[in-house]
Amino acid sequence: MKDATPTLLLSMSAPPYWHCGRTVFKRSIDQLIALLPAAAMAVVNWGLPALRVMCLAMAVCVAVEAICCWAMDRKSTIDDFTAVVAGLLYAFMLPAGAPWWIVVIGAVSAMLFGKMLFGGHGNNPLCTPLIGWAVLFISFPVHMDPNIVQTATSFIDPLARLKYFGVAEANAIPVLDLLLGHQINALGAGQVGALLLGGIYLLVRGQIRWQIVIGVLIGAGFPFAYLQMTDPAANASAVFHMCSGSILLCAFFMATEPCTAPAVSAGMLCYGLTCGLMMFVIRHFGSYSDGAPFAVLVTSLLSPYFDMIRPKPFGVK
Amino acid sequence: MKEHFTMLTDPRFCLSNGVTQRFGMGPMPKTVRLNREGFAVDAAVKKKTLVYPYMHLATHPAPGKGDLFSPIYGTVTDITERSVFVDAVEPDEELKKLGESVEKIDLLAREERGEDLVPVLKGLGVNTKSLGQKCETLIVNCLNPDPGVTWAEPMLLSHTKTFALGMEMLRRLSPAKRIVLAIPSNMKFRHRDVDIARVPYHYPASVNALVIKSVTGREKPEGVGIVGIHNVWSLGRVALTGYPLVETVITIGSLIHSGNYIVRDGSTIGELIDFANIELQPGDTVVRGGPLRGESLDKMDRSITKGASGLFIVESGTIPPMEGHSPCVACGSCSAICPARLRPDMLSRYAEFGLHDRCYDEYITSCLECGLCGYVCIARRPVLQYIRLAKEKLGLKLLKTAGVYAERVKQGE
Ligand code: SF4
Ligand code: SF4
Repeated sequence: MKDATPTLLLSMSAPPYWHCGRTVFKRSIDQLIALLPAAAMAVVNWGLPALRVMCLAMAVCVAVEAICCWAMDRKSTIDDFTAVVAGLLYAFMLPAGAPWWIVVIGAVSAMLFGKMLFGGHGNNPLCTPLIGWAVLFISFPVHMDPNIVQTATSFIDPLARLKYFGVAEANAIPVLDLLLGHQINALGAGQVGALLLGGIYLLVRGQIRWQIVIGVLIGAGFPFAYLQMTDPAANASAVFHMCSGSILLCAFFMATEPCTAPAVSAGMLCYGLTCGLMMFVIRHFGSYSDGAPFAVLVTSLLSPYFDMIRPKPFGVK
Repeated sequence: MKEHFTMLTDPRFCLSNGVTQRFGMGPMPKTVRLNREGFAVDAAVKKKTLVYPYMHLATHPAPGKGDLFSPIYGTVTDITERSVFVDAVEPDEELKKLGESVEKIDLLAREERGEDLVPVLKGLGVNTKSLGQKCETLIVNCLNPDPGVTWAEPMLLSHTKTFALGMEMLRRLSPAKRIVLAIPSNMKFRHRDVDIARVPYHYPASVNALVIKSVTGREKPEGVGIVGIHNVWSLGRVALTGYPLVETVITIGSLIHSGNYIVRDGSTIGELIDFANIELQPGDTVVRGGPLRGESLDKMDRSITKGASGLFIVESGTIPPMEGHSPCVACGSCSAICPARLRPDMLSRYAEFGLHDRCYDEYITSCLECGLCGYVCIARRPVLQYIRLAKEKLGLKLLKTAGVYAERVKQGE
């Protein structure tokens, strides 16, 4: 027999019953939108090889995540698109002419050691794309050096120029060229102007914390600016440094990955400053010409300490 | 600095909406389900007993908890551990006479003051635990408690007589030297010889502990008590009608509908939703209490009891669904929004993995149970639920019952 009124199935859940509407998926989409201009500029500047690297990296990352979820007997998490974002960011750190096997090795290590082995998105202590980059950078330095891979180009490498030809040569490079990505660099990291646009988009959307970005930019920019002020003949400008290497990519997209950064405002600012300072130290005193990715990796390890900087909870004396 | 972008510009979080329409009466219920948890039901009340409005049904052993009365003419259909069920009947002459013989009590004419008033009010169904609490300063929290709830402004501005009577009774009852009304800072309002404090009116500003902070400038000050305007209004209602309290004011709200009603105690949500002309679809969520802190109900025969602030329908599809297993992605939104400056991500993770003791080190006792951590969680974790679970496991009372602050119980006791 049927009831006079058919029973209505209500959904039960836990409070709160209102929600801001943000989800992991939507954040991934925002990140992809932010990365789109840089990806487009990469294709404009480097042609199809760049597209090839980006697509391969994303595909491998998604596949690795799917396989890991299957092997761990878990519900697949690829539908939140975080693997796509990680893959694209990772591709941004590679030269456009990177051979396919390099891309695959890096992507697999990034997803395995930078994400899945720790339990998936949000549990990784270090930035996923940077793990892949670091593995490659240390194991295959030759294949990772854009100056060696990218021979058929009229672009120049600003950092190499600074190192081997001196400040005057470096300062002669027009900033507009740097902003438009007319430089030898990793395929995405070099699209400085487009990255800046994307980064500002993320800031406006509230997807990344301004404390970290500002911290990194000040931490790295201030010492360079100070050096240039005191001795303009021996030091390139801060703008030059910001627009070369991968400082901007790291400031907006890598250092801000929330799970590797502290959670409280003051801590985030300190974290950003330290990270920026490390970039300066490695670049200025170290043997690596860029140094930004290593700075992010090292500072992420310090996050738990920055997390100790926190306000007293409500009513705690 | 607060990261306000995480709240976006959700206008619903504004607790002062300019609503001044007087409350309509809710439907005359066909069946009621009264909460009797902890009450001792009168010997005369059994299954099939005929009851009439304002008939005494049950007593609670606690002096501060009001007695239970029947809101309608009806017959008792069932008495369980938790509820008394009454079905409405058309009263015959005899029952009608009984119903009309209930004596009206003129509260204002009575002599009792302070603690002597407590049993009188108990006998009228009023809870006096928070109204009569011992303190130097008593704050009346005149903000809408949750976003979506809109009855606080009409109570102050439109039902002035009821509110004035409530304040008069409160002054007689409360041992406090000073009574302060905390009202939204944008409200034009004056009240004869009562101190007024203007406080921010964006959720979570209405959470009791934060109202106390806005008024006194201190966190957890000594000797300051707080009571919601809902209680004062109930007090005024009893003084106005002279009969025991069998009603409560709630907001019934859905995505497009919102209205305030005086509903009979124990009204079932099915009847209320019909009355408000809201059509439910499969998959909707029905919430008793505020949308951020309330509880979802499974059946239409659940009821509204005294003290509930509202009844909300959350249409399916309007918010991302909560899935069972959703690990924290460490996005940091919850820590950025938490008004108690806690780490809800860590608290919820500890609770998730049963490490409840560690919640002490993350200051679980400072949690104000405002629910914002869950509102902003991009992984749709039931963060507040996890925190409540840990509190339960640690033997801490939830704020709903414990009052404004949670006490830390000694470990190992
Ligand atoms: S419910 Fe508790 S932990 Fe969550 S935001 Fe509110 S005060 Fe913070
Ligand atoms: S908002 Fe949710 S996912 Fe983000 S840190 Fe807090 S609990 Fe984790």
